[in-house]
Amino acid sequence: MTGPLLTVSNLSVRYGAVPAVADANLTVEQGEIRVILGANGAGKTTIIKSILGLQKATQGSIRFDGAQELRSLRPHQIHQLGIAWVPEGRQLFNTLSVLDNLRMGGFASTDRATTERRIATMLERFPRLAERRHQLAGSLSGGEQQMVAIARALVSQPRLLLMDEPSLGLAPMVVRDVFALVREFNASGISVLMVEQNARQALAIAHWAYLLETGRVVESGPAAKVAAKDNVKEIFLGGHA
Amino acid sequence: MILLLQQILNGLIIGSTYAVVAVGFSLVFTVLRVINFAHPDIFMLGMFAGLWGAHLVSSNIVVVLLLGAAGAGLFGLVLEQVVIRPLRGRDVLMTLIATLGVAIMLENGMALIEGPDPVAYPTLLPQAPVHLGGIAIGSRQLANFALSLLVLGFASWYVRATRYGRATRAIAERPDVAAAFGVNVDVIARITVVLASMMAGVAAVSVGALYGSAWVFVGTLYGLKAFIVMLVAGNRYFEGVVAVALGLGVVEALVTGYISSSLTDAVAFCLLILVLYFRPDGLFGSYAI
Repeated sequence: MTGPLLTVSNLSVRYGAVPAVADANLTVEQGEIRVILGANGAGKTTIIKSILGLQKATQGSIRFDGAQELRSLRPHQIHQLGIAWVPEGRQLFNTLSVLDNLRMGGFASTDRATTERRIATMLERFPRLAERRHQLAGSLSGGEQQMVAIARALVSQPRLLLMDEPSLGLAPMVVRDVFALVREFNASGISVLMVEQNARQALAIAHWAYLLETGRVVESGPAAKVAAKDNVKEIFLGGHA
Repeated sequence: MILLLQQILNGLIIGSTYAVVAVGFSLVFTVLRVINFAHPDIFMLGMFAGLWGAHLVSSNIVVVLLLGAAGAGLFGLVLEQVVIRPLRGRDVLMTLIATLGVAIMLENGMALIEGPDPVAYPTLLPQAPVHLGGIAIGSRQLANFALSLLVLGFASWYVRATRYGRATRAIAERPDVAAAFGVNVDVIARITVVLASMMAGVAAVSVGALYGSAWVFVGTLYGLKAFIVMLVAGNRYFEGVVAVALGLGVVEALVTGYISSSLTDAVAFCLLILVLYFRPDGLFGSYAI
């Protein structure tokens, strides 16, 4: 029986004197979708960036697959372990074509044939992207860009996908599609750690949820239980639950 | 009419050298976010590496070009390792000043060896008039032009069609995201500096062989213009840099031909002032730093 895929222990991150994350503990089990909920500024993106090696943690440990300590690795090495990122606000390479963005997703592999095959699979799955594959990524609509961002992350066939606010700025119908997509590739074995403000839809697909408030994990439990709690509605008063 | 076309062609030829140096500048800037003031002197080193190679090894043009590229590339590698890398992440002004210091050292150091005046450069190719329509152009000028276009073509292919070239553009736009998709930014940064330096080296040998002279202070000539081209074009699009460089060459040639040769250098500066006033990010836009 293998342990959790990702274990974040006692993670603290300070920006100068300001604590962004304080003593956070969370795990992602193999095959699960785990969601971190919290308002703006709660520290969600900081946690994601710390896992990716893009943000220096002040203390704590981040272990992948049991033994591998991520804090001693650089971002490109962390990606090579099988962790991919769907950044907040998509952050596509806007001056590159859709196809080139997908190719960048497969950068870590030097096996061109495999990468091209995986890209072809992605384009089959997303026919709208296939139509626009030579277009500059920056010229696509918000929903299409989100598809590119997700496809880009999936090209490397990651074991763990880190998603930062995938619903941000998208129309409700598109958000529904996005969450359905997450469920779909999770079913194929990809574990997901998602950060979201859209609590309702995220909790509907997640197995486990964490609540982050000013850098601290204040709530942790099975998604259904967290969804039923009163304070969830408090934290998201005004348009989310 | 013939004179006009003649001047335009001359302008394109000199503009193509500006383009090669400017593209090198621009590539390094967008990938490393540093202004490498020593780049024009890497150009100069390439010129002299070719010169020494021609005297010591062979005056076969291909050999001299390779030696020029190698010399420039080697120095670019050393510069990246010793000066640029340690200053990564610090204020961009630090690298600017440090590389400026290197530039001054190189120029004066070379002046001690080769003297402060222009020295003779083997011309490597025969000069023969070539007639295109009614225009006469020397075979050397044409070869210089062809070489520059070849180098630019290579650079364009590299950033467009190769894995590392794509990664270079990705880093220019979003370095964090690129790194998070497996790009080792340090390695690409080094490769970019070496490539930019080698390109400059080839262009330098080409220019030296064209005019039959090398000069330790030649860097200031091309470097300043190339820097201006980069600022005017913005660093977002490779093609923009090439277009502005060629355009500058043509306008300079027209000014020299029709107005006065003493105003030639003023063109670049006037252009810079105008563009910075109306479009400070450059004509074609820039990536945020």
